[in-house]
Amino acid sequence: MTEITRILEQIEQGNTASAAELLPLVYAALRRMAGYRLQREKPGQTLQATALVHEAYIQLVGNAEIRWEGRSHFFAAAAEAMRRILVDHARRRKSVKHGGNFERQDLMSDVAAESGDVDQLLDLDAALTRLGTEDPEMAKLVELRYFAGLSVEETARALGLSPRTVKRNWAYARAWLGRELNEGESQ
Amino acid sequence: MKSFRSSEKSIFLEALDIESAEERLAFVQAACRGDQALFSSVSALLHEHEREDNPVDTPIAASCAPGLLASEESSQDDMGSDSFLGPAPGSMIGPYKLMEQIGEGGFGLVYVADQQTPIRRRVALKIIKPGMESREVLTRFEAERQAIALMDHPNIARVFDAGVTATAQPYFVMELVRGVPLTEYCDGQQLDIVERLQLFVDLCSAVQHAHQKGIIHRDLKPSNVLVTLQDGRPLVKVIDFGVAKAIGQSLTIRTIYTRFASMVGTPAYMSPEQAGMSTSDIDTRSDIYSLGVLLYELLTGATPFASDRLQSVGFDELRRIIREEEPLRPSTRLSTLNNQIATTIAADRRLDPSRLASTMKRDLDWVVMKALDKDRNRRYATAGSMAEDVSRFLMHQPVVACPPTAWYRFAKFARRNKVAISTVSSVSVALLFGTVISVWQAQVAIRERDEKEVALTEARAAEEKSNKARDELEGFNQRLNSTTVLLASGRVHADAQRWPEAYAAYSRATEILPRYYLVWLERGRLNARLGRWDAAAGDFSRAIEIGCSAQQAELLGVPQLLFYAGQSEGYERIRKEIEPFGHDNPMSVVTRGLLVGDLSLNAAAELAASVERILSNAESRQPFSSDKLQHKYVSMYYGANLYVSGWAHLRAGNTEKAIERLQQSNDAEWFGKGIALPLIAIAQHRAGRVDEALRAFDDSQRLLNRLLDESVNRQSGAPAIPWVDWIEFLLHHRAACIVVKGHTPATDPRVQQMELAADAAILY
Repeated sequence: MTEITRILEQIEQGNTASAAELLPLVYAALRRMAGYRLQREKPGQTLQATALVHEAYIQLVGNAEIRWEGRSHFFAAAAEAMRRILVDHARRRKSVKHGGNFERQDLMSDVAAESGDVDQLLDLDAALTRLGTEDPEMAKLVELRYFAGLSVEETARALGLSPRTVKRNWAYARAWLGRELNEGESQ
Repeated sequence: MKSFRSSEKSIFLEALDIESAEERLAFVQAACRGDQALFSSVSALLHEHEREDNPVDTPIAASCAPGLLASEESSQDDMGSDSFLGPAPGSMIGPYKLMEQIGEGGFGLVYVADQQTPIRRRVALKIIKPGMESREVLTRFEAERQAIALMDHPNIARVFDAGVTATAQPYFVMELVRGVPLTEYCDGQQLDIVERLQLFVDLCSAVQHAHQKGIIHRDLKPSNVLVTLQDGRPLVKVIDFGVAKAIGQSLTIRTIYTRFASMVGTPAYMSPEQAGMSTSDIDTRSDIYSLGVLLYELLTGATPFASDRLQSVGFDELRRIIREEEPLRPSTRLSTLNNQIATTIAADRRLDPSRLASTMKRDLDWVVMKALDKDRNRRYATAGSMAEDVSRFLMHQPVVACPPTAWYRFAKFARRNKVAISTVSSVSVALLFGTVISVWQAQVAIRERDEKEVALTEARAAEEKSNKARDELEGFNQRLNSTTVLLASGRVHADAQRWPEAYAAYSRATEILPRYYLVWLERGRLNARLGRWDAAAGDFSRAIEIGCSAQQAELLGVPQLLFYAGQSEGYERIRKEIEPFGHDNPMSVVTRGLLVGDLSLNAAAELAASVERILSNAESRQPFSSDKLQHKYVSMYYGANLYVSGWAHLRAGNTEKAIERLQQSNDAEWFGKGIALPLIAIAQHRAGRVDEALRAFDDSQRLLNRLLDESVNRQSGAPAIPWVDWIEFLLHHRAACIVVKGHTPATDPRVQQMELAADAAILY
């Protein structure tokens, strides 16, 4: 049994205090996997973050009989971890570009598009943080769907809501973020 | 501000329900009650809602360019880059010498290797890539190992061994198959439809065999189904059976998707339920789906959902396609092909292009579509029944698969008869497959037919009743399906020593289909394995009562058990049933069952002679006999047969020969090594060698102590030796105590402890 499985089982038995131990473990595992994966990719390939989160679940929890309470905690932690990992690296990437340790870019690589992606991610992260201060539930929902790739039904089970409510809240959060980001653009 | 936000949200959500733009605007205006700020913020939200270009709609992967993490991670990561290049040819891994690397799969690197000890042979060795926790892979493999070892089928590549390299990477050792993927072979050789279907039937029989042993492949695709030539004839070999489960990786669409991106895997063969998120919910019917995809590809040259299309969509869309989209029927797919491709595909199958589609229409369409049903309850229940339908097509008989609803009304009567026809041919196909489909299935099929005929007679009586009868039929089929699934999962749990889960699965099966003896047989075997003798005896009696044939290998040890549990009536009945059968079964099922009861000297001498024949057969056999199956059983049971022979000689009064054989059995390597000791004590006593007898009895007592301690430590009702050996040992030891010591043995307190442990083992 892995450390993570043990914690998930404790959570299922009602010991929610151990949930706090989950995030660092999941974070470390995801970071290791992401690093390994990207190192292996051929140039031009991409990493599907949400796919990675689920692969992490299979690797770390595997076939252990974990019910929904435990799984929800796992995916919540993984979503948060994935967000941090991606944002961290986007930041570092940006600082490298702005002079840090400068390297010549291959002329063929689409530098503009890449840095556009980086900026978009950082903007989204900032908007999501603002949404989180106003309505933490909504931010949680976006994390689960966007960073962990849960479907509507899965998110509903994880948050203890009906799928209909999740769909509507998602529409709201999506519109809210869109509005927030577009305002930033027009200013 | 908070109230502003909450009213903004509720107005927005209510506005979503209003379809017409005008009404929506009117509603928002009214709801904002002149609050201009609120109105514009809700309007902005609604505007965003309608816009298609929202950053959260793009999967996050798109924002994560390659190299972003890699450059930093590689310097920090202790996983050096050469570790996944794999070891160089020439290096040793355990007893295996690596020769050349022959492939790279999603899981790892595949090498040809020479095994040095204990036998020299050439094998395929697959090293699992780092990033999977080796300890867990091995634990899972250990759990599966017993089941994997049970698979013995000409169309399945054997898995020999698993271990960990010096760099802590797990590896698997498998039968080396030099072949090409099934689809490539068929196209390369331009096999016609009939030849393709024949290979496919072989593939089904392999899958059926594995399923009967409780093993699900989980990753059936052309690269795991190879065709090799044996004596000039193509031979299908399925590789990696059981490996996917041990690695615990191929189960979900996420992992496949990730690998898809790096071009080493494809989701094209994945079932809708695998595309779901749950990993625990995969059963044999997922393999049936993959078989459907393979058949589709053999017929049309393409998978139901084109690989390039699957590759071009995002992850969620991929999941949606697999779970929701209905693929084109094979014949439709062919008729929509453009001419040039159709000509190639037709040429590959040696068909006239215009006949290509019509050949496929009719029955094969339904066979494929039934296997590909999104609802697994409506797929073929077993790979065997899919093979039967394909065989029926080959023999120009109507298939069982048919379109879901439209046909039903018009073909009701025809279908009734077809059900009967199909049951008869399922028996003949069962015989055709020989070892693959065991006898019990044929018997189940016959009983199923009987139930169906009863139902059908009623149906003819009145239309109203007929509908009810049909429901009963369907109900029965469903119950049979779910029972099969329960039994398979019970076996897997039992092999992994998850006793409560196994017991619960079997018990559930006995509730669903109490007239199906296999459910009782399976639960009885679990009970016996746990040392719950009385419960086991009850289950076995029940199985025999409802018609389980007594001569099956599954019943090894059952007569002994009934005898031990004091069910003399049950023992007598089973003894009478097994007596007429031949004694040349290498497992000596009948012989051992008879030896435990009353026996004339002559009868015992006959039994001894028959076991001696088996022994001399085994001795004369070449190490690599052509009949592999037979060879395996013979060598596996050689030690056991030495013991059975000694026992029979003892019963026949041939004391010296008995001692010789019994002692040989103590020197041989087999599971029940040592259980001959009490028999030796009895034999020595008969020969008048009192000291020898006492010594043997003391040895026997020591073994008993050791096994009892082992059981108590294992918190289970029985030690780790096969339960049939254990129960015979208990019987012999009691007899030896009476003969040598002159009294019955006192009840050991550990026996009671064991019984308690056994009962506790099945509780959650």
